[in-house]
Amino acid sequence: MAVYEHDVLVIGAGLAGMRAAIAAQQMGADVAMISKVHPVRSHSNAAQGGINGPGVGEDGGPWEEHAYETTKASDYLGDQDAIEVLAKEGGREVLQTEHWGVVYSRKPDGSMAVRRFGGMGKARTFFVGAITGQAILHVLYEQLMRPSVYKAMRNYEEWFVTSLIMDEGQCRGAVAMNIRTGELHAITAKATIVCTGGLGRVYEPSTNALICTGDGISLAYRAGAPIMDMEMVQIHPTSLKGSGVLITEGARGEGAYLLNKDGERFMTKYAPSMMELASRDVVSRAEQTEIDEGRGVDGCVFLDMRHLGEDLIKERLEEIYEIARDLVNIDIAKELLPILPGVHYIMGGVKTDVDGLTSIPGLYSAGEAACVSVHGANRVGANSLLDTLVFGRRAADHAWPWMQGKTFKPIPESVVEKDRAMIRGIMDRPTNGDRIAKIRRDMGMSMSANVGLFRTPERIQKQLDTLKELRARYEKVGVEDKGKVFNTDLLFHIELGYMLDCAEMITKSALERKESRGAHTRLDYPNRDDVNWLKHIVLTLQPDGSEKMTYQPVTITQWQPQERKY
Amino acid sequence: MAMKYAFWPGCVAKGAAPELYVSMNRVAKELGIELVELDQAACTGAGVIQEQNPEMADALNARTFALAQQLGLPLMNICSTCQGIESMVQDKLSKNPEYLAKVNAILGDEGLTYTPGLEIKNFLWVLVEDFGLDKLKSLVKRPLTGLRVGPFYGCYILRPSQLLGKEEHPDRDHYLEQVIEAVGGTVVDYEGAKKCCGFPILTINRENSLKQTGNHIHEAQDLGADALVSPCPLCHLNLDAQQPAAKAVTKHEIELPILHLPQLIGLALGVAPADLRLDHHVVSTKKMLNKLAAPVTA
Amino acid sequence: MKIKLKVKRTDPEKGTTGYSKYEIEAPESTTLLDALIQVREYEDGSLALRCSCRSAICGSCSMRVDGRARLACRAKIIALTRGDESHELSVEAMGNMPVIKDLVNDMESFWAKMRSVDPYLRPVGPEPEAEYRVPNETMIDLTHTMNCIMCGACVSDCTVLEVDKSFIAPAALAKAYRFAGDPRDGHTHDRLEKLSEAGGIWDCTRCNMCVEVCPKGVAPMNRILQMREMALEAGLTNNTGARHTNIFTKSITDGGRLNEIWMVPGSVGMFNLPRILTEMPGALKMARVGKLPFNQMIPPGMPGSHKMQGMDRVRNLIRKSASLKAPKPEVKD
Repeated sequence: MAVYEHDVLVIGAGLAGMRAAIAAQQMGADVAMISKVHPVRSHSNAAQGGINGPGVGEDGGPWEEHAYETTKASDYLGDQDAIEVLAKEGGREVLQTEHWGVVYSRKPDGSMAVRRFGGMGKARTFFVGAITGQAILHVLYEQLMRPSVYKAMRNYEEWFVTSLIMDEGQCRGAVAMNIRTGELHAITAKATIVCTGGLGRVYEPSTNALICTGDGISLAYRAGAPIMDMEMVQIHPTSLKGSGVLITEGARGEGAYLLNKDGERFMTKYAPSMMELASRDVVSRAEQTEIDEGRGVDGCVFLDMRHLGEDLIKERLEEIYEIARDLVNIDIAKELLPILPGVHYIMGGVKTDVDGLTSIPGLYSAGEAACVSVHGANRVGANSLLDTLVFGRRAADHAWPWMQGKTFKPIPESVVEKDRAMIRGIMDRPTNGDRIAKIRRDMGMSMSANVGLFRTPERIQKQLDTLKELRARYEKVGVEDKGKVFNTDLLFHIELGYMLDCAEMITKSALERKESRGAHTRLDYPNRDDVNWLKHIVLTLQPDGSEKMTYQPVTITQWQPQERKY
Repeated sequence: MAMKYAFWPGCVAKGAAPELYVSMNRVAKELGIELVELDQAACTGAGVIQEQNPEMADALNARTFALAQQLGLPLMNICSTCQGIESMVQDKLSKNPEYLAKVNAILGDEGLTYTPGLEIKNFLWVLVEDFGLDKLKSLVKRPLTGLRVGPFYGCYILRPSQLLGKEEHPDRDHYLEQVIEAVGGTVVDYEGAKKCCGFPILTINRENSLKQTGNHIHEAQDLGADALVSPCPLCHLNLDAQQPAAKAVTKHEIELPILHLPQLIGLALGVAPADLRLDHHVVSTKKMLNKLAAPVTA
Repeated sequence: MKIKLKVKRTDPEKGTTGYSKYEIEAPESTTLLDALIQVREYEDGSLALRCSCRSAICGSCSMRVDGRARLACRAKIIALTRGDESHELSVEAMGNMPVIKDLVNDMESFWAKMRSVDPYLRPVGPEPEAEYRVPNETMIDLTHTMNCIMCGACVSDCTVLEVDKSFIAPAALAKAYRFAGDPRDGHTHDRLEKLSEAGGIWDCTRCNMCVEVCPKGVAPMNRILQMREMALEAGLTNNTGARHTNIFTKSITDGGRLNEIWMVPGSVGMFNLPRILTEMPGALKMARVGKLPFNQMIPPGMPGSHKMQGMDRVRNLIRKSASLKAPKPEVKD
């Protein structure tokens, strides 16, 4: 059987994907979930610091506060109607995860404990030590292991999507390869929810896992869905020297300092009020400025946690204690940790409304892959976990009623042919001395150099040219592994294609936005320009293969754009 | 340097493995190691008491430590299981001073007290670290040339390694091989050397227990071993006393004598096998003894 | 620094196994995963392995190195070789699970065992409006178990699983503890009861292998032991494992030293004649060679049973130890 039929197909089994799947299944849908790795290997597990809980108890505070702070941190590019939804419904999601069993840290009275996080005026971030993402991810998977759910849901584990199925302007599922057999199949559905996460590997280095290759964003783009805000790439202030592995903002939330080579807490110069907990773009730019002006060491500044005490570190920051010890041989209770800004998150992605729906009927997206937009030009820490749960659920909540009473014609197996031919083409290519890894590295390093923290039109233009060259190389490079079973070489090849799509979108949008806002800093346009640029940049692939760039005004409900000061 | 230790023989050496007790005392004499037996010390709990009553086991072990300290001597044991438990309790007591204080309050009834820092070593470690392999080599009178010996450590002298001195003594998981070579034997390198003999589950899941024992013996024998040597009498009970049963369960054709560590040393030092009670094993050591180069008296 | 790897290959389409040797140059801080990725990217694109996060949180890259299961992204080459550049590291897929290709295992049995312990919270009663109120110490304790990244290292090297695939095995049992120890779960007794059955908590041979190989300090064996203690406290004593620990403890509280002879009948049941009879040949063999301790013939607790020297002081100590409360067992890497 090469064609499978379901009601709801979820692509990606991280937090957003599993939340959507659970929600759909609870409503009675026939749900299928595809993931190129086992669900618990999803990159959601790397989120360390916590999840914001607007409205949860006293600490959560009124949802309007959270919404305002999220809006401000987004540098007013966030759509406030979506942000209000996030803030109003987020608390309920956090409590749901606790009821499902997440082992949130507690206060002495047994209620959930909070810590401060960047961009938030008060502490409303709930957490599990420094493994919050992993803890929530595993609990969602536990829910999927309930016998009734497990038997009812189809889990295409280690299947790799090669294209979305489009039929008469609707999205009808996906063509995917069973990695274990190498065979392609059509997994058809009435509604498809793309929850494939981010694209950090487009840059080098990055905090992201090797699997974060922008698959869903590229797949949706190729299917004609509008992609928005791609120039908004979040560069996290504290990625570890060398590997780029994430060091949670939670460390700063617990009181860690940022020091330059002179031992100064340099954030006094850039964000005197919030200091180390200003929004991420502000902190990253501050760090990079210190480094560029010669006050760094080996391209890094330092995270100082010595004053926190070993007990607190072991209890609340154990994970990063171990990362520091194992990857760079440093005891953070006694020594400074060298860190530098690292690519971490894509605020942009598949454009959706507040129900996760794209402009293509039947196609939804949620989580990091989507752009609602709740994060605008800069995401607040601990809002991503919230985003995945709220909008993962909402996508399912919209899709199920929407599909009732409609007819969906069956999809023929022939939809698989195009991808089969594509793969055959790649497999038949001779090796020519170039390697996928080389192209990928060249892409990553040039993106970091030219479309990084501080952008200039010359460098961005240069990157467009570089990407053209890389694409030409990509069209010619072959794979070494000619087998069918578990051919990771082939998967890397296809992923590189997705990454190049994303790199191109990022670069084009970065060239287009002639202002500085949030994570996007143009040295030739250093100020924010609300008159001309209070809008999103949207890229849509046209049926004739050309690309159209349009603009989407920002939705404002309560908060007029103000100067952003921390 | 005079070597003197408080000596905890363990329950099994005084019970079902008297050959271990006898051979240890004899070999200690030969090596010039003075052993002061703690005949008032009780069982370590072997991890079994710990399953239902960790407090009782902690107190019993602390008492043994205190008895050694009362003599002003380091503590030596002849059982991997004892070593593992003692190291674990020692670590727990040193990391929890309030708990230790409460334990010491109870020990106070006997005028005893335990202060963290006692050196606790299995005879294997004493041999390599305190006595020295070179010195041992120099005392060998009957080198075990031609004898192929497989080491069998016993879980608790190896794991968890950070509680068993891995940082300070990274080669502790190689000592048996070093000792075998020091006394002239040839090491049989086999995977089962560091695995489990299954003794703890002998009564609970006999089949699994004997399969573990049988498989490891079979593997070593297949690779040409003439004997196994182990520093753990509980392992010895499974490997030797239960070997016929293991043979029946696994259907492996196994017949491999199992030596206690002091017996291996004793043979090399020229002690008569009967004085090491090598004639009191369930699996006969005759064939192995006949293989030794020098003449032996049975 | 030079790195030498000997990797076991499995070709799923040909059904053959073999070895590939690689020699690469890499910095001193290189991990095994870095090295394998370098091989895969620049030397041999056909090498299959699972990996993702590079920071020991996704659990993908567990494999056997020199016979011992490790997380590749956590294993520094220089530590594995102890600085000896001539040491060729032997790398292969995990044990106790079938191999799909090269370093990729089929972990279906792992997940099936996980599902078999009902690994989801089963609260009882009405859901609170806000969160459940629970003590932080409990959450911290459970967080140690939640640290488990499902990498499979413990299952790979479990010595019981090697001889008996029906054993639930360390990972699933540690996961079971995460619920048995969660005050929000309303089915603790049921869970412990089910886990006290064959293949469960009493089948662990207590070899510490899982504790040794776990890269996250979960110490699965310690969780199993915690559940044994909980099961005994819950009165689930009608099984051999429970009887074993009881007779052992009784032996010590009675005489201070282990009474080996009465271990078997005490554990399997004094009237379990068939089982006791299976031990008779062994016991006779031991008696013949003088290994049967005749001073142990009287069972612990009966008048005339053997008591060590100074037993009255030991008895006093045991009695008073009942007032102690031991700290929870931990093993951290």
